[in-house]
Amino acid sequence: MRVEQNHRGQMAAMSMPALVFTVGMIAFPFLYTIWMSFQTYSSTGQVTGWGGDNYLRMVVDGQFWNGIWITLYLYVLSLVMQLVLGTGLALLLFRAKRLPGIVRSLFISPFMMPPVVAGMMWLVILDPSLGAANWILTSLGLPPSAWLASPVLVVPTLAMIDTWQWTPYVALIVLGGLQSLPPSVYEAAEIDGASRRAVFFRITLPLLLPTLVTAMILRSVDLLRFFDLIYITTQGGPSNHSMTLNIYGFRVGFEFFQLGYAGALMVTLSVLVLGAVMAFNRLRAVVEW
Amino acid sequence: MYITRRGIACLTAALATAWVTSAAAQEFDWKAHSGETITFLANSNPLGQLLIDHADEFEELTGITLEVDSYQEQQMRQRLMTVMNARSDEVDVFMTLPSREGMQFASAGWYADLTPYIQDSVSPDYDADGFGKALMDAATFDGQLTAVPLNIEGPLLYYRTDVFEECGLDAPSSLEGLADTAAKLKECTDLTPFASRGLAPAAPYTFSAFMHNMGGQYIIDGESAMCSPEAKQALTLYSDLLKNYGPPGVVNYSFQQLTALYSAGRSAMSFESSNEFGLIMESGDRLEDTAIVPLPEGPGGSHPTVIGWGMAISANSAKPDAAWYFLQWASSPEMQAKFALEGIAPPRAAVADSADYKAWLEESPVRQQWHDALAVLAETGTSEIGYPIIANPESREHIGQAIGDMLLGTASVDQACAKADTALNELIARD
Repeated sequence: MRVEQNHRGQMAAMSMPALVFTVGMIAFPFLYTIWMSFQTYSSTGQVTGWGGDNYLRMVVDGQFWNGIWITLYLYVLSLVMQLVLGTGLALLLFRAKRLPGIVRSLFISPFMMPPVVAGMMWLVILDPSLGAANWILTSLGLPPSAWLASPVLVVPTLAMIDTWQWTPYVALIVLGGLQSLPPSVYEAAEIDGASRRAVFFRITLPLLLPTLVTAMILRSVDLLRFFDLIYITTQGGPSNHSMTLNIYGFRVGFEFFQLGYAGALMVTLSVLVLGAVMAFNRLRAVVEW
Repeated sequence: MYITRRGIACLTAALATAWVTSAAAQEFDWKAHSGETITFLANSNPLGQLLIDHADEFEELTGITLEVDSYQEQQMRQRLMTVMNARSDEVDVFMTLPSREGMQFASAGWYADLTPYIQDSVSPDYDADGFGKALMDAATFDGQLTAVPLNIEGPLLYYRTDVFEECGLDAPSSLEGLADTAAKLKECTDLTPFASRGLAPAAPYTFSAFMHNMGGQYIIDGESAMCSPEAKQALTLYSDLLKNYGPPGVVNYSFQQLTALYSAGRSAMSFESSNEFGLIMESGDRLEDTAIVPLPEGPGGSHPTVIGWGMAISANSAKPDAAWYFLQWASSPEMQAKFALEGIAPPRAAVADSADYKAWLEESPVRQQWHDALAVLAETGTSEIGYPIIANPESREHIGQAIGDMLLGTASVDQACAKADTALNELIARD
């Protein structure tokens, strides 16, 4: 007994440096950002005061509320599209068990691509004057679109690009869920003569819910801090119509030198992400079977 | 023959100068910092890329090892900001745009003062007085030289001579005449008549020339003047040109899209950076059918925008002397002559007069026009892009926002300028 306790103690001591390092790496930047968010800085980056001014400023800053709205709009739109299409793709892959490896690889290739490369690629495709997208539209006799330059279409277009890239990722998660479903339930449904529609809505979907919630958590973290694609394609434009909270915070901090206010914006965004993850974790506990 | 006292004094002074110069020539040793390592934070634009491509020549000359950290412009600033705020010596020497961030970085104490270096520690053939005065002044804050010019650049009007000839048009001779020319081009050709920057943070670079030629100023009596009659005329002309005669989606246009559009032969006039000249001419398609001029003068005269990238030493550098050697090499007449042949306009008049550069210019009329237009910029230009305040980068955002709102039709000129003035007056007050 004593030997076992000693052994445990040794194990704990040996893993302590790694633990301290990991906690430090996660906690320090976050605590530092919180600390910064309570400081005000001059245009030259010098600290000029301390207090809650940055948070008060957020309340009256129209750009902050615009950032919240754009972030949530993009988040909901992208998440819904990715879940619906990802589930559909997973069902296709699940049924087509003999799909050649190359086809499966092609399906998952978009999310292997760095977002910056994907952004550059879509920027060229969607260029209103030189891009392939408008060439196709006009070839079909349809009017050309401004895509990323349209204040109305910019968020749906960004959501479309993100969906193109990340739907296969969601599909892989859902496919894993599908493969773990108990076959006995399906056998019972088949004996009872249930239709395919009924099987999907009454058996597959409810049983898949924990997997779908897991996919939602993973995508939520990424979608709420949506950055690289927007930075490459629109930089928040046209006229702030794609200025998510993350992009706004970045510009305030790194281009305008207002580190304290940028810190407050980032803390708020982190709370938003944390809140979404906690809500989905609760949901997962409810739908767990 | 009489030798006057004055003559003796002059002769003595001349001999003394010759002796000092000769002594300096003997004393200056390019290998003085051999074995040291310095880090260069570079912008991956054509100029930065050339410096990187020739870095081995520097290492061979000095024995100094150069570590390069290269990023796109915005990422470069982000990296610099992180390093400087941490007061780290990770970066020794960096590229900077004094017209944009000079005042901000100087106030933050990020630049080392280069005055003693350029006065006392130069190789005999450096020719420290050979830089254009305007560029040196633009990089001097509170009497301290913060950066040495690497190039000269500004927006120029590139236009298609073949299309103009086909449509029976002459090059626009006045700012207001641009709209007429664009309207005629629209009737005569399928090409985009006029293209320029529309993306909010990028647009002030091109818009400022419209503003100044129209007779406008950003600040009058300490207040933001976006709603002055001249500024409103400039805003209206610029946004109307782009809205009525510009490419679709121009609100997201920066230099990349302009270059792609013009290079592909899809725009008849393009108001864009002189730095893009090399890329535009690279394919050879535009070499014979393009002419280049400064923006035509307006009611306020001709005040084209002229800026230059500079190189600075970090105030936190642990090896400023070795860093100065790199800076000196990069801005030397020899290297700038080499870069000129790659389409980087030299900030030194002597380089512009060199035989190699002249021969390069004579190879093609459009090169000569590009050079002549830049000479006009150097002589008559202003470096004022956005507000001359510490928060200059943020001021550009509000100017760009006003242009963007007008391009999208979400605000009239009165609404756009009033919104900009409110935000800009806050910035001025904060300054």
